[in-house]
Amino acid sequence: MNVIEIEHLTYSYPGASDSTLKDITVNIEKGDFLAIVGNNGCGKSTFCKTLNGLIPQFISGDFSGTVSVCGLNTAETDVGTLARKAGYVYQDFENQIIRPTVLDDASYACLNYAMKDYKERGMSALEKCGLTGKHNDYIWQLSGGQTHLLALAGVLSLEPEILILDEPIAQLDPGHADRIYNVLRELNEKYGKTIIVIEHHTEYIADYCKHVMLMKDGNIKWVLPTDDALRRVDELQECNIFPPQVTIAAHRMKKSGKMEPDVLLPTTVMEGKDVFALKENTKVKNSVTPSEKTEIAAEFKDISISYRSVKGAPHIVYSDLNLNIYKGEKVALIGGNGAGKSTLMKMMVGLLKPSSGDIFLYGENIREKKPENLSRTISMVYQNPEDMFIKDSIRADISYAMEVRNIKDTEEKTESLLKRFRLTELKERDGRLLSGGQMRRASLAIGIALNPKILLLDEPTANLDIATRKEIMRTLNDLKEITETVIIATHDMQLVCEWADRIIVLSGGKVIADGSRNEIFGNENVVSTSGIRPPEIFEMGQTLDKNSLCYTIDEFLESFEGRRMEDEDIEKIIGKCAG
Amino acid sequence: MKISKKLSENVLDKLSIDFLRNQVLKNAYGNDDTVIAGLDPRILIIWYLFFGLVPWFANDLTFLLGCFILVVITTRMARVAGLVLFLFGIGVFSQTGYLLIVTLFFGGDASAVVPLLILTLKVATVSLASVTIFSGLDPDKLANGLMWYGCPERLSFSISYAYRMLPVLMEEFQNVLLSYRLRGNPPDNSTFRGKIKYLAYQIKIIIQAFYPLMLNTAKRSRTTVEVLEIKGYRYASVNKAVKKIKLSSMKVTNNDLLFLAISFLWVAVTVLISTII
Repeated sequence: MNVIEIEHLTYSYPGASDSTLKDITVNIEKGDFLAIVGNNGCGKSTFCKTLNGLIPQFISGDFSGTVSVCGLNTAETDVGTLARKAGYVYQDFENQIIRPTVLDDASYACLNYAMKDYKERGMSALEKCGLTGKHNDYIWQLSGGQTHLLALAGVLSLEPEILILDEPIAQLDPGHADRIYNVLRELNEKYGKTIIVIEHHTEYIADYCKHVMLMKDGNIKWVLPTDDALRRVDELQECNIFPPQVTIAAHRMKKSGKMEPDVLLPTTVMEGKDVFALKENTKVKNSVTPSEKTEIAAEFKDISISYRSVKGAPHIVYSDLNLNIYKGEKVALIGGNGAGKSTLMKMMVGLLKPSSGDIFLYGENIREKKPENLSRTISMVYQNPEDMFIKDSIRADISYAMEVRNIKDTEEKTESLLKRFRLTELKERDGRLLSGGQMRRASLAIGIALNPKILLLDEPTANLDIATRKEIMRTLNDLKEITETVIIATHDMQLVCEWADRIIVLSGGKVIADGSRNEIFGNENVVSTSGIRPPEIFEMGQTLDKNSLCYTIDEFLESFEGRRMEDEDIEKIIGKCAG
Repeated sequence: MKISKKLSENVLDKLSIDFLRNQVLKNAYGNDDTVIAGLDPRILIIWYLFFGLVPWFANDLTFLLGCFILVVITTRMARVAGLVLFLFGIGVFSQTGYLLIVTLFFGGDASAVVPLLILTLKVATVSLASVTIFSGLDPDKLANGLMWYGCPERLSFSISYAYRMLPVLMEEFQNVLLSYRLRGNPPDNSTFRGKIKYLAYQIKIIIQAFYPLMLNTAKRSRTTVEVLEIKGYRYASVNKAVKKIKLSSMKVTNNDLLFLAISFLWVAVTVLISTII
C-alpha cells in the first residue's frame, strides 16, 4: 500500500524564475525507511515540505500536480489534519521547540488540536523517544541529542503515519546519532511508521535504511533498495554523495583490477569482511612521526571553571586541568557533546575566565588581558558562522579587525584573503545569505585576518554536506602553511584522521587520552570509554587484521586487496546480500 | 587592595550578559518549587489586585507598614532572583534618596519625613507585590490565569513565548558582542578620559550589535513560524475547546485558601491596630 502518491509535481518558490521541483512522480510504500540523498540545492527539503502541506498552503508559489498523503490531497486538506498524517522534524530543530518544559512541548500540538488526552499522548511520545523521566525538565537542561529527540517527540505525539527528518544527526556525536537512529528503527519496525530521512551520512543509510532516493536538479533519478543504491558509486559521487568508505575502497580495487569484477560491492563492515583480504607481506607501518616538542604555545595550569546553573549547584566543567600545546602543532580536540571543548577554547581567547589557575600564551599570563588585546596572538572561529558576521558585507567583515587597528594595506590584504578563500565574487553580499560552505569559508577568512599565531576552530565541518566538507578540509590543509598552531574541536573523525598530528580526548572535564592517531584509535580502552568512533575504513581494517591502522581509503588500499574467491564464497555473499 | 580588586572583578563578572541571561531564567523558572509558585494563578491575581492597588489609596502608616511586612515575607517565600531585588532596591532608594535630599535641602524636619516614609512604603509595597507575582509564578501559569479572566489568547501566548525566546535572544546578543570584542580595538581605558571614551565605545558597540542580532533572529524564527502553523497554533487560538482544556489544569486547593485567609487576617489585624492607635 502506498502512503504517499505524487503525480507530476512541479513547484517554484515565489519570485523564483526556475522551478525547484520538476515534474516529480513517485510512490512511497507504507512501512518504508527511505533515505533521500542529493547535493545541496537539489530540492530535498522543498520536496519534504510538500508532504505536510506547508507547500503550497503556507508557503505559496507556483504549484502544479497532485500530492496525496494517506489518501488526502495536500492542496485541499488543512495543515492541521495533515500534521496528524505526516510529521516533520527540521534541520534546525532547536527552533522547533516552542514551550519551556519537556512535557509541555511534547504535548503542545495535541493541546492545540483540542485532544483531551494531550498529556498522555505527550508522555507516550516521550517514552517512545527514550526521554522517560525527563518530562519535568526545562529545555535548556537537555543536550543536543536530547533536544532532537524532543523535537521528534513533539511531532510523534500526534501519532502521524509518516515521519520526515531533515538531516537528523548533522550536529551530533556518534553516541547520540546512534540513539536517534535506533529510536527511528524502533518506530519503523515496532510501530509501523513510514520514515523518510534526508541524510548525507551513507554509513547510517547502509545500517538503517531500506530504500534510497536520489534527487538531482529537482528531479528524482531513482528509488532503489539501499544496497543496490549505494553500489552505484560513480553515479552517487557525480552528485557529491560519498558512499560508505568500504564501498568506495572495493570500487577502487575493482577499477585497478585488484578485485574480481563480479564481486558485489560491500556496503557495511560486516559485508566487507568477506571481500577484502590482507595483501601478502605487507608491513604494518606507523606513518605519523611525532612532532618535535619545541616552544610551548599555550599552557593550562591547574585550571578550574564552572558554569552557573538555573537551579542548584554550579556545573563544574574542569577541575585542575593541566595541558600544554606546542608551537606548530595541529591539534584535534575530541569528545562527546558537552565534554568542554568550546569552554576550553573560550578560555584561551579570554572570553571566559577560569575560576582558578592560569593560562599562558607564549609564556604570557592572559588573566589580566582583555580579549581585544589577545587577537593578534590568538583567534577563534565559532561553530555558528552567523555569529561572526557583524557587518553587512563579508568584505567589511574581513577588513573590520584590520581597519580598527589602522593596519596599513588593509584593502590589499582583504582582497588577497577574499581571493584565497574564493570569495571575491561574493564580497558585497551579507554573510548570512550565503550557502553553508561559503559561510564557513568566510568565517575562516575573518578568523585569520589578523594573522594570529594560534587559530581555534570550533566544529568547522558541522552541518555541511560531504562535498562542502571536503572543500573545507582542503581549505584547512591550506591553512596549515599560514597559521603555525591550529586547534580544532570536532566530532568529525575523518577530519581528525586526515588532518591532525596530535589528538586530545576530553571526557568529563578531563584529558583522558593525548597522542597521535595510532595511540588514540589503536587503544581500545580509550575508544570505548570516550565514545569516539574511528572512521569506518579504520574499523574495516581492524576487523580484517588487528594490527592494521589505516585511516584513509588510500592507506587501506596499500595494505589490503580483494579476496580471491572460490565459487562457494561468491554464492555465500550473494545469499547474504539478498538476505 | 586585594579585596577591592576582587570586588571590582566580581562586579564586572556580575554585569556580563551571561549573568543577565542566567538571572532571567532563574527569575522565570528557577523557583517553581516554592509555596508561591504552587498557588493558583487566579487567586494570586486577586491577591495582587488588592496589594497592588489599595496601598495607593491608604495613608495610614500602621496599615502600610503591615502590608509592607506581608509582601516582604511573600517575596522571600517566592525566592526572587538577586538581580530583581537589586533593581528594586535601587528603584526605591533613588526615589526616597532623591526626595530626602530635597527635603533636607529645603530645611525639612521630622514632620516632612513621615509623609516621605508613607510614600516610600506605598511604592515599596506595590513593587514587592508585583515582584512576588511576576517572578514567583512561572510565566505559563500567569498566562493561564490572565486568560481565565478573559485576556485574549494572544496576550497569554506572547507572555510565555517571550520568556521562551528571551534566553535565545540574549545568547545571540552575547555571541555578536563577543565577535565585536574579539575583533574590535577599544580605546585604552587607563586614564579618566580613556574611561569615558571606552564607555562611549561600548555603547556604540551595543547599538551596532542590534543589526546582526535582528537578522540572525529573523533567520531563526522562520522555522518557528512554520512549526507554529504545523502545531496548530492558529487553529487553537480560535477554538473554545482548547481554551477550556488549558484552563482546566488550574485548581484551587487548600493552600490557596489558606494563603488568602492568612493575608486577609493579617490585613484585618493591622487595620484593627491602626484604629486602636
